[in-house]
Amino acid sequence: MNLASYRKKSPWILHYNAGGCNGCDIEILACLSPKYDIERFGMINTGNPKQSDILLVTGPVTKRSRERLVEIYAQMPEPKVVIACGACASTGGVFRGMYNCEGGIDQYIPVDVYVCGCGTRPEQIIDGVVQALGILETKTKELEESVRLKKETVKEGKQINRRNIADQVKPAMI
Amino acid sequence: MGRQYEIPIGAQHISLLEPLHFKFTTENEKIVKTDANVYYVHRGIEQACCSKFKFRQVSFVVGRVCGLCSISHTTAYSQVAEKLLKIEIPLRAKYLRMLVIELDRIHSHLLCLSHVAENSGFEALFMKTMQYREFSMELLEAVCGNRIQYDFSIVGGVARDLKPQVAQSIMERLKKFVPQLDELMDIYKNNWTLSLKNKGAGAITKEDAMRLNVVGPFARAAGLAVDVRNETEDLLPWKEVGFEMVTETTGDVYARNIVRLRELYVSIRIIENIINGLPESALITETKAFPDGEATVRLEAPRGELFYYAKGNKTQVLERLKIKAPTFSNVAAMTEAFTGNEYGSAPAIIASYDPCLSCTAR
Ligand code: SF4
Repeated sequence: MNLASYRKKSPWILHYNAGGCNGCDIEILACLSPKYDIERFGMINTGNPKQSDILLVTGPVTKRSRERLVEIYAQMPEPKVVIACGACASTGGVFRGMYNCEGGIDQYIPVDVYVCGCGTRPEQIIDGVVQALGILETKTKELEESVRLKKETVKEGKQINRRNIADQVKPAMI
Repeated sequence: MGRQYEIPIGAQHISLLEPLHFKFTTENEKIVKTDANVYYVHRGIEQACCSKFKFRQVSFVVGRVCGLCSISHTTAYSQVAEKLLKIEIPLRAKYLRMLVIELDRIHSHLLCLSHVAENSGFEALFMKTMQYREFSMELLEAVCGNRIQYDFSIVGGVARDLKPQVAQSIMERLKKFVPQLDELMDIYKNNWTLSLKNKGAGAITKEDAMRLNVVGPFARAAGLAVDVRNETEDLLPWKEVGFEMVTETTGDVYARNIVRLRELYVSIRIIENIINGLPESALITETKAFPDGEATVRLEAPRGELFYYAKGNKTQVLERLKIKAPTFSNVAAMTEAFTGNEYGSAPAIIASYDPCLSCTAR
């Protein structure tokens, strides 16, 4: 097994409340509990952004929490997936247009999976997280792909540019 | 005298459900001073309730103030609006509101207890409590149609009726839950490992609790008998359905656990009484009036006294709505009770306050 399969079999979750009503947060907590048992996918809740692969965000972004949200996102190592949990994290929901709120977290950080509902059910959260695992896998592949292999071969006249190593590798692959 | 260090905790932390920031000044691992910063999730709900939404819609908006006690918020708002409209709601609606409030209390208290166990480092007990808590979520879903955010109380009454099958299943599930609660009581009371972390931690005296205006289980654990259910009779007939005051004396984390567990027994009894004696009547009082004048309402949420103030001006939109949440009253005592404790037990103490910052910041 290589690193990619570890990542897929045991993604770690980071949870941040960006101003929601706690409803979705307690459902995330319920996911960790024995009935829904998200640990069967190898997920555990960590408090450390530097160790986690999946960021679960709830709540519309309030003006005070947005800096922390972006900070946490920036601290997470690549590849990372962001899940917006609940109606208000996806669009702002009922809080849209209130003076201290932004409409949804995708105004600040890129979101991969949107989970709907106010509040979301644990089944929906688990479904979203499993979808996120697929996205995590493709992201990992994209990240690990060699950039050089994709390069167009450069020819100057009839001569191959020796400095471009990609040219040497490519014929060997075919 | 050692050197003083400042240790921050939050805004994002594994032991915190919500963004909350504490700054501890510690000396030889002992906390000497605490600063709290709770307004990370201020959204501006009060202002929106007085401008964007009509007064009948507001009961759905204030439910989103807090997901843990959304029924308390919706009920308190509905009551204050009914006072402004000067209507009396049917008796059955009152009983159903009490039923859902008590079911909500069961789930909220069990969540808090499990959180205390987790933050004390007792992961197995966290899992066990969460497992036992799941029945209350299922019952709430059966009664109201959603696991959280019930939107059960509306202005004038309640939105749904209680079906006989649901009432029967509530009784059956509660019967099953009583031995489980006994088991939890035994663990929280007698477990030696847990007692090391909980006994004597975060203690507050009765005088301090009185002086700092503490409410809810936090106050009752210190021996202060404050409970809105004991004081008001006009809006919801709590005494009729068998409410009983629960107090402890020591005021530490252990006492708060025990108060919460013993309150669950009271809640179970209240629910059984409500279902056995549910009166037959309509569910909702219709009216075409507009809110006028001023009114206040107090209600016992799982965390303590919830206070609503509203002012109407004979239009669809309220002129002012003020929410004072239980955690807001407790913040002063929260910072006080840390003093003299080990820094290591701070997460457990925070969890035992059962802080609800979404309520506080609105
Ligand atoms: S989506 Fe609804 S339940 Fe979830 S955090 Fe937002 S307001 Fe609360």
